[in-house]
Amino acid sequence: MVDKRLIDQLRQIVGNENVLTSKISLETYAFDASPYSGRPSVVVFPTTTEMVVAIVNIANEKNIPLMPRGAGSCLSGGAVAPDGSIVISLTKMNNILEIDPLSKIALVEPGITNKQVQLAVESYGLMYAPDPASQNISTIGGNIAENAGGIRGVKYGSTKDHIIGLEVVLPTGDVITTGNIHSHVEPELDLTYYFCGSEGTLGIVTKAWLALSPINAEVKTMTAIFGSLENAGSCVADIIAQGVVPTTMEIMDNIVIKAVDDYLKLGLPRDAEALLLLEVDGFSSDVKTQVNSIINAFATNHALSYKIAGNEQERQDLWKARRSVNGALGKLKPANIVHDIVVPRDRLAIMLEKVAQLAKKYGIIIGQVAHAGDGNLHPTLYYDHRIPEEVEIIEEACDEIIKETIAQGGTISGEHGIGIEKLKYMPLAFNKPTLHLMKKIKDAFDPKNICNPGKLLPQITED
Amino acid sequence: MKKDELLKLLMNCNRCGLCQEVCPTYKVSHIEANVARGRNRLIRLALENQLNLDKEPEVEKIINECLLCKACEDSCPSGVPTPEIIASIRTHYTNTKGLSLGKKIMYRGVFSKNRNISLIRNLAWIYQKCGINKLVKFTGIFNKTDEMLPNLPPKNVRSLLPALIKKLPNPKHRVAYFLGCSVNNFFSSIGVASIKVLQENNCEVLVPEVNCCGAPHHSAGDMEEFKRLAKNNLKMLNNLDVEAIVFDCSTCGSVIKDYKNLFSGDKEYENVAAQVAEKVQDISSYLVSIDFNKNMGTISKKVSYHDPCHGIRFLKVKDAPREILKSIPGLELIEMQEADMCCGGAGSYGIFNPKFSRDILARKIGNYKNTQSDILATSCPACAMQLSFGMKLHNLNCSVKHPVELLAQAYEIKSL
Ligand SMILES: Cc1cc2nc3c(=O)[nH]c(=O)nc-3n(C[C@H](O)[C@H](O)[C@H](O)COP(=O)(O)OP(=O)(O)OC[C@H]3O[C@@H](n4cnc5c(N)ncnc54)[C@H](O)[C@@H]3O)c2cc1C
Ligand code: SF4
Ligand code: SF4
Repeated sequence: MVDKRLIDQLRQIVGNENVLTSKISLETYAFDASPYSGRPSVVVFPTTTEMVVAIVNIANEKNIPLMPRGAGSCLSGGAVAPDGSIVISLTKMNNILEIDPLSKIALVEPGITNKQVQLAVESYGLMYAPDPASQNISTIGGNIAENAGGIRGVKYGSTKDHIIGLEVVLPTGDVITTGNIHSHVEPELDLTYYFCGSEGTLGIVTKAWLALSPINAEVKTMTAIFGSLENAGSCVADIIAQGVVPTTMEIMDNIVIKAVDDYLKLGLPRDAEALLLLEVDGFSSDVKTQVNSIINAFATNHALSYKIAGNEQERQDLWKARRSVNGALGKLKPANIVHDIVVPRDRLAIMLEKVAQLAKKYGIIIGQVAHAGDGNLHPTLYYDHRIPEEVEIIEEACDEIIKETIAQGGTISGEHGIGIEKLKYMPLAFNKPTLHLMKKIKDAFDPKNICNPGKLLPQITED
Repeated sequence: MKKDELLKLLMNCNRCGLCQEVCPTYKVSHIEANVARGRNRLIRLALENQLNLDKEPEVEKIINECLLCKACEDSCPSGVPTPEIIASIRTHYTNTKGLSLGKKIMYRGVFSKNRNISLIRNLAWIYQKCGINKLVKFTGIFNKTDEMLPNLPPKNVRSLLPALIKKLPNPKHRVAYFLGCSVNNFFSSIGVASIKVLQENNCEVLVPEVNCCGAPHHSAGDMEEFKRLAKNNLKMLNNLDVEAIVFDCSTCGSVIKDYKNLFSGDKEYENVAAQVAEKVQDISSYLVSIDFNKNMGTISKKVSYHDPCHGIRFLKVKDAPREILKSIPGLELIEMQEADMCCGGAGSYGIFNPKFSRDILARKIGNYKNTQSDILATSCPACAMQLSFGMKLHNLNCSVKHPVELLAQAYEIKSL
């Protein structure tokens, strides 16, 4: 049962309306966008750093697990509440505190959505480069904690490349500021990096200084269709080899193309085996040369046809198609698992083929999208969670996908995080000394292991 | 809907959370129980027997707090029809528990009978005019709604018809005009403007004797009464020799267009409903389709447009009302942010969920205020009622108008 005194204390800190304790409301905080769920004991909505500190102090004193939460769009279970935990929802700390267009810095609270940041800085001719497909809802805090990557990732990198500094409430209740906000000289040991991808296990981000980038003068968006995934994969490797750096290169397979087209009715090529969507930006002369090299690569890799988006509407439609992939696929079966594997770019074609073969071998549906430019694949496996045999087959197929990834020299997560889902694969991806070091780092930040326990770091077996 | 059908729809929700961006109740609360994803989760747990729908008042409250605005469904990549799911559960509540007394008086007693709406309207008019609203709160309903009611016109539209309807010498078009209860009783200026504008565009106008479209009953899950009203209306609208049935109320228009789903599988009414649906037209869209008369006087004002849920998402009307506003000389259209977000009126939603309704309204009015315009235009009397209430609440001296009212005014100025 929930400790009545604890609830009173929390109410005093954040106010009655900012504490949820009923069974029903907790039920809606049990889960995120992954298939897992947990049992929180209370949800609080702080609005200031001081409130966060006060909440953390109580948790620390009483040894209660806590979990920061943004939009709850995490795909790996990172935002699934640990049993008995205090969920700290940052969604009411959602202000933009400052935009400095000269230094190209925005200071924001963690609960603001990525999209709202984009809208606010757009009028200065600026953008915040990381743009995950969940940008309309996912929060900056969640983006940092998952080190979210975006569609522009090939050229601009991921979240960690665009964070100048952070204010963090540590699990001990101390508040630290990382980074070197007033100078571009990096400090020796950059603490900011630790928090990017920490999955809420090292502390709670309460402010972030974001680096903004100028919006490029010209953008060209193109699509090409291929008769096989392999050709699409080789085409990507070829483009990179020619020295072209598109902002994006996304591959969708036939299953995905059809599902998205069913949803958006955009007239996508429904019988194409693979669709490559790519975008280049820069000054107009620069864009022209890039486009030419890409068209050459299309030809050498047997593209069946290609198209350049004629206007902004066509471009937006294509992006909408890409951003809708996750949701559109939800229609195929009641449950799915999205993988987030990364392989070296020259192995992309092989990996896509291998996954397609696995789908055949197990007789299951696997939809594939890939942020091909950085070798990040998202094979999604569809099943009915109510049928135990299906669940079993899916688990087997997942294990095989991961083994294949590692055999190709790859790793298990590009951007969705380890969370709960990939805990069991950590010992495959990292050797013992590495895992031990990670554990030591965790202990240094969170000696009592109260901050989002049970995620990211596996139990290390001593044998 | 049957349980397994519902479950099947719910399974399509893969909890992506994208509905957070558009769900008004989430936008103002940031609470997961108040977004499609949370609502769907709770309903799913109930259908999988992990929660008992009938023993959890909090779930019922959450179900009732949905605006049925359809914003989630329109942007849901998995196409989950959350409003339909919610409406089914409400029907379940109404069937098992009956309507609450307040709702019963409100829906069956008032909206169901034309005479009673008029009666209430007259009472309310007297009540407003005599200022007794400050002295007594004489019924439970008035208690909560007095400040939400617009300033009432002295006469309803139907009683003005004999003077309004003109015999045109050479009409080019022939249309039926659906006179809904809100417009008839509370916003007669809209009804008068609609008829005048249609006639100005050389349309012969018929005004069939219809009753309430049933929207309030539908949203309360009172399907029995809803069907009864729908059948009456279909009888009145079927077999009219007109090119369109024109609506100045987006809600009535969408509800009537949707009768075909209500009667799907019903031999007697399904076809009739489909034929009637074919003719349903929002008045702005109809005017644009007949290339309305652009000979107008000048109105030098700034105007912003609010998209009613039933306009933009049900009838799919977006450009036509804007086209009309832009065609009026002098009138400058300034788009507001979140123009297509529900205003929180949602029929009688505001009466039963005052906190949400007012928070959503405050957000809407805030967006409007940023445009610094003089007039807020919208194509639904239900929204007009809520938005006018918002103007009062936020001390803004701006008027709320239907696009046809402004158009009628522009025609009038010309002929002066
Ligand atoms: C449709 C869809 C598309 C997606 N597309 C992408 C994509 O293109 N690229 C990508 O990288 N991801 C993508 N994701 C995954 C997800 O959106 C990202 O991981 C996102 O960064 C999570 O943000 P959130 O606000 O939802 O965080 P949540 O899901 O609420 O939390 C995620 C993790 O961050 C922690 N956390 C949250 N806030 C804070 C804070 N203030 N301080 C410390 N820790 C915190 C939580 O404890 C949790 O471990 C997608 C998800 C969906 C549903
Ligand atoms: S209702 Fe649609 S948008 Fe909302 S979480 Fe479910 S699938 Fe996603
Ligand atoms: S219908 Fe409107 S209020 Fe209801 S869940 Fe959907 S978006 Fe939210």
